[in-house]
Amino acid sequence: MTKKIHTITLGRRGFLQGAVATGLAAGTMPLGQAIWAAEGAMLNAFSYADIDKLDPGFYQNGYNVDVMNCIYHKLARYVPGREWEIENEAAEELEQVDDTHIRFRLKPGIMFSGGYGEMTAEDVKFSFERVLEHDSPVKGDWGPLKEVQLDPDDKYAGTIVLEKPFQPLWTITIPYGVGHIVSKKAVMEATGDGGDFGMKPPAFSGPYILDEWKPNQYVKLTRNPDYSGELKPGYDEIRIIPMDDEKVAERAYEAGDLDYTGISLSSLSNYKANPPADTTIKEFPSLYYVWVGMNIDNEVTGNEDLRKAIQWAINVPQIMDAAYFGEAKPSTGLIAPGLTGHREKALIPPEGDLDKAREYLEKAGGPPAQPITIDTLNATTWKTIAEVIQAQLGQIGIQVQVNVQDSGSFWTLGMESEGDRWKNMQLVVNRFSMMPDPFYATTWFTSDQVGIWNWERFSNPEFDKLNDEALSEADKDKRAAMYRKMQDLMEESGAYRFLTHEASPVMYRDSVEPALRPDARPLYVGFKPA
Amino acid sequence: MAETTASYKEPSALRVYAGQLRRNPMGMLGLVLVLIVVATAIFAPWLAPYDPNQIMLGPRMGAPSAEHWLGTDQLGRDLLSRVIAGGRIAMLVAVATLGAALSVGLALGLIAGYGPRWLDNILLLIFDAVRSFPVIVFGLAVVALVGPSLYTVILVVAITSIPIYARIVRTQTQALRGAEFILAERAMGASTLRILGVHVLPNVLGPLLILASMDVPMVIATEAGLSFLGMGVRPPAPSWGTILNDGYNFIRNSPWPVIAGSAPIIIVTLGFTFLGEALRDIFDPKLRRNS
Repeated sequence: MTKKIHTITLGRRGFLQGAVATGLAAGTMPLGQAIWAAEGAMLNAFSYADIDKLDPGFYQNGYNVDVMNCIYHKLARYVPGREWEIENEAAEELEQVDDTHIRFRLKPGIMFSGGYGEMTAEDVKFSFERVLEHDSPVKGDWGPLKEVQLDPDDKYAGTIVLEKPFQPLWTITIPYGVGHIVSKKAVMEATGDGGDFGMKPPAFSGPYILDEWKPNQYVKLTRNPDYSGELKPGYDEIRIIPMDDEKVAERAYEAGDLDYTGISLSSLSNYKANPPADTTIKEFPSLYYVWVGMNIDNEVTGNEDLRKAIQWAINVPQIMDAAYFGEAKPSTGLIAPGLTGHREKALIPPEGDLDKAREYLEKAGGPPAQPITIDTLNATTWKTIAEVIQAQLGQIGIQVQVNVQDSGSFWTLGMESEGDRWKNMQLVVNRFSMMPDPFYATTWFTSDQVGIWNWERFSNPEFDKLNDEALSEADKDKRAAMYRKMQDLMEESGAYRFLTHEASPVMYRDSVEPALRPDARPLYVGFKPA
Repeated sequence: MAETTASYKEPSALRVYAGQLRRNPMGMLGLVLVLIVVATAIFAPWLAPYDPNQIMLGPRMGAPSAEHWLGTDQLGRDLLSRVIAGGRIAMLVAVATLGAALSVGLALGLIAGYGPRWLDNILLLIFDAVRSFPVIVFGLAVVALVGPSLYTVILVVAITSIPIYARIVRTQTQALRGAEFILAERAMGASTLRILGVHVLPNVLGPLLILASMDVPMVIATEAGLSFLGMGVRPPAPSWGTILNDGYNFIRNSPWPVIAGSAPIIIVTLGFTFLGEALRDIFDPKLRRNS
């Protein structure tokens, strides 16, 4: 069975037609636009967090992927816009032969920098299989990958073979983190065994290269001199500046230090009423999920009745009002509306119920003798959430101490590899990014992830089984029901109080034409001067 | 004639100093400001019209009104109450920090100034090493290790202030150790402890206290700075730095939290600086501006 994917399959003829059209367009475009294409300019953009890994096989988070999109190639990439679509990038042809076989053929002529030659199917095989061979923490993104078979007659062609069907393949795996292709020769030279090369990419293939990285200051990308692909870089230089707090980014934008930034929801109405000069503001739905987590393995919050008392005492609409100025809606779980597995209702109503909370607290033996702690990132919105929860839990007699952490400290809080701090963690306000497949939400809460990203240390065999089975479930309704059940299990454990998916307003200079995913995530590689 | 001379009474030193202070308008202004701040800190629970941490989602980011004299912050908390409670935190930090720094700095300065040369060299090396750290950067490093809290702020500022006082005491002690009255005491067999406690200490204490009073704004600004960066007191404790940071983040919504957070820092800085300069002029006439 041959199943064409819902993407643009660009053949050689199509490519030639496109190239001719592009040449004509370049020849006839106004002088100003021709100049930017040749010379470009500089873009200063905001990012919520600094990068910490540029090896796609071992990527840590979306902020790393934002940079990877610019410096490597994938078989296919997300199309900027309001709909979740993908299009071929490195692949000239990409098709699903059957449920477990995906055939690809690379565009000839994609070069790696540093003299590492042309990208071939051998590089694709190496890039994908090393994720499993080296037991990457994100190997789940490749799910049941068995191998990549090479076409003996065509050095550009091969077939991805799966053990079983894998639903997130087209939405997450291929167009996102682990889908990036690295140079086998360069990585082997750099690492010896093909393992994690961390922050030092041995070769680039994208329109930009990593020119400089100053931790917690900026990531500087410049044009790749060896690049000859179809995606012309819009800028000579892109600086991505990490700022934990959107409010700080807003000030930086107003001061002229940024050309593109996210806006906090509490500032949105103000900016809409009184936007900065020469600025466009756009609103996008968000896939983020924000929740309050409770450490099941902590001596105090290990008490399930106490956790449930906390769940019921938290009034989510009040938090929406205080932290987001009413611009965000309460969520029902991890999975945002419109995605497979979204729940219409949570088990606990958004408003909670103080009487029920008191009942659970009584069953738990009353409030803890010592104040419990709630850890939060040092950002205005999150601090506000923590302070409101502190006040809400105070209503049932639970004293709370707010621990504000800087990003470096916060993002390692529940990780066993970073010491014993996870043992003392009790409550935490957390937010994860999400991709357009429910797998990407639930996969962080399996037993395998305890002490890695599963900071609540929630471990449920039924959840793990459902998470595994849902990956290959082709029936959409059945799959949705599985994810709904998984969120029920999480909530029933008492370890989670789901808060919101937020929303993603952004603003940018009128001189910038951004390329954004449907959830407003920037695809810097597609940014260009307007 | 002899009777007339006997009836003349020398005015007490305190009276003389008070008189000099009264004749210094900036000093008096400083004293008034300091007294207001100190009194507000002491009587904060009775003066604050609302619970400073009480969240009221109705009147958020409100301008000053009859109910809320300084307006409200992003959680509807009364800014006046938070400023008053913040003053208590600021004064607590100032007193605890300077108390600790003065005590330890004094003891180490006396030891360095009066002790053997090798000990002096070691202590100087330590003082200079500690002083080489910028206070805020050192504070951020300590906070990253032990977590933010009021005690961390006190610890950081105290540690970085100790060398300042210790160096001054050391210099003065070294100047005094060769003085005739000290040599005489030593010749008469007085113990080192007695010489330091009875003869050296009173001579170094006055200038040290003046310096400490002038350092109060620095300490308060450091605490506010760390709190502004989210590394000071824990939320929802209303440090002036926290109020300022909240205001900064919501400045497009309302300017009042920024004004409420910065005004007391300005007042305290001016008050202690004016008062400290006046005291310095009084106790150290050589430095009088008009002399």
